[in-house]
Amino acid sequence: MSYEEVIFYFVAALTVLGGLGVVLARNVVHSALFLIVALLAVAAVFILLSAEFLAIVQVLIYGGAVTILILFAMMLTRVRDMPGALDGPQRPFAALAAAAFLAISILAVVSAEWPGETEEITVIAFSDLGDKLFRNWAAPFEVASLVLLVALIGAIILAREEEGE
Amino acid sequence: MIPIQHFLVLSSILFSLGIYGVLARRSAVLILMSIELMLQAVSINFIAFAVYLYPKEFSGLIFAIFVITIAAAEVGLALAIILRIFRNKATANVDEVDVLKW
Amino acid sequence: MGMEEAWLIPAIPAGAFAVLLLFGRYLPRRGDWLAIAAIAASFALFFPVLVDLLGEVDRADFAGVASGIDWVKFSLPTGPDFQLRLGFFVDQLAIVMLAVVTFVTLMVMVYSTGYMKGDPRYGWYFAAMSLFAAAMLTLVLADNFLLLYAAWEGVGFCSYLLIGFWHERRSASEAAKKAFITTRIGDVGLLIGIFLLWREAGTFDISEIFEFAKAGGYSAEYLTMAVLFLFAGAVGKSAQFPLHVWLPDAMEGPTPVSALIHAATMVVAGVYLVARMMPLFLEADPVALNVVTALGLTTVMMSATMGLVATDIKRVIAYSTINSLGLMMVALGSGSVTAAMLYLFAHGFFKALLFLSAGSVIHATERQEVGDLGGLARRMPVTAAVFGLGALSMAGLVPLSGFWAKDEILNVAGDHQNFVVYGFMMLSVFITALYMMRVVILTFLGEPRDREAQEHAHDAEPVMTAPLLLLAALTVVAGFVAFDGVGEALGFPGGFGEFVFVEEAEAFHFPWDVAILSTVAAVAGLAAAFYFWSGAAEPARRAADTFRPAYETLRRKYFVDDIYQWTIDRVVLAAGAVIAWFDRNVVNDTGVDGSAGLGVFSGFGMKFLETGKLPNYALAIVTGVIVLAIVFMVVRV
Repeated sequence: MSYEEVIFYFVAALTVLGGLGVVLARNVVHSALFLIVALLAVAAVFILLSAEFLAIVQVLIYGGAVTILILFAMMLTRVRDMPGALDGPQRPFAALAAAAFLAISILAVVSAEWPGETEEITVIAFSDLGDKLFRNWAAPFEVASLVLLVALIGAIILAREEEGE
Repeated sequence: MIPIQHFLVLSSILFSLGIYGVLARRSAVLILMSIELMLQAVSINFIAFAVYLYPKEFSGLIFAIFVITIAAAEVGLALAIILRIFRNKATANVDEVDVLKW
Repeated sequence: MGMEEAWLIPAIPAGAFAVLLLFGRYLPRRGDWLAIAAIAASFALFFPVLVDLLGEVDRADFAGVASGIDWVKFSLPTGPDFQLRLGFFVDQLAIVMLAVVTFVTLMVMVYSTGYMKGDPRYGWYFAAMSLFAAAMLTLVLADNFLLLYAAWEGVGFCSYLLIGFWHERRSASEAAKKAFITTRIGDVGLLIGIFLLWREAGTFDISEIFEFAKAGGYSAEYLTMAVLFLFAGAVGKSAQFPLHVWLPDAMEGPTPVSALIHAATMVVAGVYLVARMMPLFLEADPVALNVVTALGLTTVMMSATMGLVATDIKRVIAYSTINSLGLMMVALGSGSVTAAMLYLFAHGFFKALLFLSAGSVIHATERQEVGDLGGLARRMPVTAAVFGLGALSMAGLVPLSGFWAKDEILNVAGDHQNFVVYGFMMLSVFITALYMMRVVILTFLGEPRDREAQEHAHDAEPVMTAPLLLLAALTVVAGFVAFDGVGEALGFPGGFGEFVFVEEAEAFHFPWDVAILSTVAAVAGLAAAFYFWSGAAEPARRAADTFRPAYETLRRKYFVDDIYQWTIDRVVLAAGAVIAWFDRNVVNDTGVDGSAGLGVFSGFGMKFLETGKLPNYALAIVTGVIVLAIVFMVVRV
C-alpha cells in the first residue's frame, strides 16, 4: 500500500463519515457541522485529484458561504425547536432506494470499460485551465455570472419582509 | 497510483447517502444539505473523468467550477423559498407543505 | 311519336306528382284536374305507341324496342359490371299492361273527384295517385332489374300511403304497416333473385339476361333458385299464399284506391313479373313452375272459401281479387302467358267495376257490412246492374269477358296440369259463382236490413257513374279480343294469343268440353247462392250451424293471421328482446359506459398519486432513475 492510497482511504473515510453524519444525525446543528466536515474532506479529494484550484474554490464557497447560509436558515426557521420527527415516513424506502442505487453504480463502475488511462493522473497546468475557461467556455462563464445575479435578486425579493407582513 | 474506480466508488457512496437524505429527512434545510452532498459527489466524478480519461480537453474541471457556482446560487434561492414558506405556514417540514394535494 | 318515346308515359304523371306536391294547395280544386290531365295524356300517348308497335310486330325477329339513358356504369373489382340505367322497353306484354293501367287509372281518378269530395286531404290524394301511376308505369316499362325493383318498391310505398290515407284511424295505419311489411318480405326475395341473376350475367338488363340464360350461362339449379327468389317478390306483391294476409286489410283505404291498386294494377305486378320472366322459368327446372302452380292453386281455394263467409262488401271483393290472382298464377304455372295476360286484361276492367260500384254503395249508405245493406237494387238500379254484371263476369258467365278469360286458363290447366289441379280449378269456378252471387243478393236484393241508412241512397253523381258505365261496357266486350277475327279487324296480327305469347303464338281454340263444364259449374253456383241466401237466408244459417267448426275456420281466415301474430310475438319480438338486451347491456353498459367508467375510475384511482408532498415525488424520481438504469444495464451489458 503506497502513501497515496493510505491518504486516499483516510480522506475517503472522512468524507463518508461526514456524509453519514449529515443524513443520520439526531441534532440538526450536528448535521450542519458534519456537512462542513464532508465539504472540507471533498476539498482534500480534489487535491488528491490534482485539482488544487477547485479545492480552494470548494473551501471558500462551500465551507465559507454555503454553510453560513444554511446555519442562518436553520436559525430563522427554528429547526431546532422541532426535534421530534427528523426523519420522515419514507425512511425504509429511502434506504432501499439508496442501497439499490449504490449497488447499480458500483456494478457499473467496476464492470465498465473505461476508455483511456485509468491509472495515471495527468496534471493539468493551471494556466491551461484559465486559458480554456476564458476562451472556449467564455459564454457559459458569462451565463453563470448572470445566473448568480438573478439568484441574488430573486433571493432578496423572496426573502424580504413585505409591508404589513 | 490510485485507479479511477476508487474515486468513482467514493462518489457513488456519497451520492447514495445524498439520496437517502433527500428522501428520508423531514426538514427542508436538511434536504438541502443532502442535495449539497449529491452535488459534491457529482463534482468528484467530473474531475476524476477529466484528469484520468480526458486530460486534453478537461471539460470536467470547468464543469466542476460551474457546478460549484450554480450550487451556491441555488442554495441561496432555496433558502429564500424555505424562509418564505416558513413565514406562511410556520413550518419547514416538507411533509406539511402539501397544498397541491389532490 | 312511337315506342322510343314511351318513357313519356310514366314521366308525365311523375311530373304531375312533383307539381302537386309542391304547389297543390295553391291550385284551384287542389289540382285534381292536373292529375287527371296527366293520366289522360298518358292514356292518349298509349295509342301512338300501340300503332308503332303494330307496325313492327309482324317482323319475325321482333323482340321489343328499348330506349333510355345510362346513368352510372362501372366495373366492380370482383367481376361483374354494375349499371344504373333509366331504360324503357316496349313489347306486346308491356303494351297490354299499359292499356290496362292507364285506362283504369283514368277511370278511377275521375271517379275519385266525386268519391273523395270534401276530404281534408283531397290534394294529397291526387298527388299520391299520380306518383303511383308513374311508379306503376315505370315498373311496366322498365328494361333492367334495378329500375324495375325501384319502381316495385315505389308502388309498394304508394300503396302504403294510400291504404293509410285516413291514418287517423288506427286500423288504417295498422293495415298500411301490415301491407308494407308483408310485401317487403317478398321484396327481399326479389332482390336476392335479381342479384343472383346479375352475379353470373354481369348485367341487370332483362333482355341480356334472357340471352345469357338461353345460351346456358346459368346452371339449372342456380337459375331455378334465382327464379324462385324472384317469384317470392310476386308472392308478396300479388298476395299469394302465404303472403296474402295484407290484401283484405288493405280495404281500409278509400275504395277508389282499392279499385286501382288492389285490383287492377299493383297486385297484378307480380303476375306481370312472372309473365315477363317466363323465358327464365322455361329454362329452369320444371319444379319452379310447379311451385307457382301449387301456391296459386292454394291461394285460389283458400280465398274462395274465405269469401263465402266475409260480411264486409269490400272484403268479399278483396277475396275475389286474391282468387283471381291465384288463377293467373295457375295459368302461368301451366306455362301460358297468353291465358294469364288475357285474364289480367279482362280482370282489370271488371274488378275495378266491382270495387267502384261497391264504392258507390258505400258512398250512398255510409255502410259496408252486408248486415246493414240489402234491397238496394230499388234505390240504386244502375249501380246494382253494373255490379251484377261485374259479379257475373267474375263468376265466368258466357258471353262476358270473364268467361273467355277464365276458360283460357281452364284450357291450359287441362292441357298442362294433372287431373287434381284441373278438378280444383273447376270447383273454384263453382265457389266463385257462389260467393259473388251471395254478395249481390245480400247487398242489392231482398229487403233492406237497415232502413235508416238507406233512406237517402241513390245512384251516384255522373262523374262517378260514367266510369262505371265505361267499365261495364268493357266488361262485356273485352273478352272478344281473344278471337282471331276480332283481333285482325282491330289491326292486330290475330287474336290475343297471336299477340301476347311466349315462345310461340297461340291461335284461339275453343274446347267445348271445358266451356260446358265451366258454365255448368258457374250456373250451379249462382243457383245455389239463390237457394242459400235469398230472402231470410235460412238455409245459409242452418249450414253455418251444422258446419260450425268449418265456418269458424273460414271466419278466422284459416288462422293464418293468428299464426303470423304468434310468430311475431314469440319469435320476432323475442329475438328482438334478446338483441335489445345485448345492445343495452353489452354494447352500451359495458362497451360505452364501461370504457368511459374505466377511464374515470382509473383517473380517480391515480389521483392519489398526487400527494403534494415533496419526498414522495422525489422518491418517484429516484425509483424511475433506478429502473431505467437497470433496464439499460440489462439491455446493453
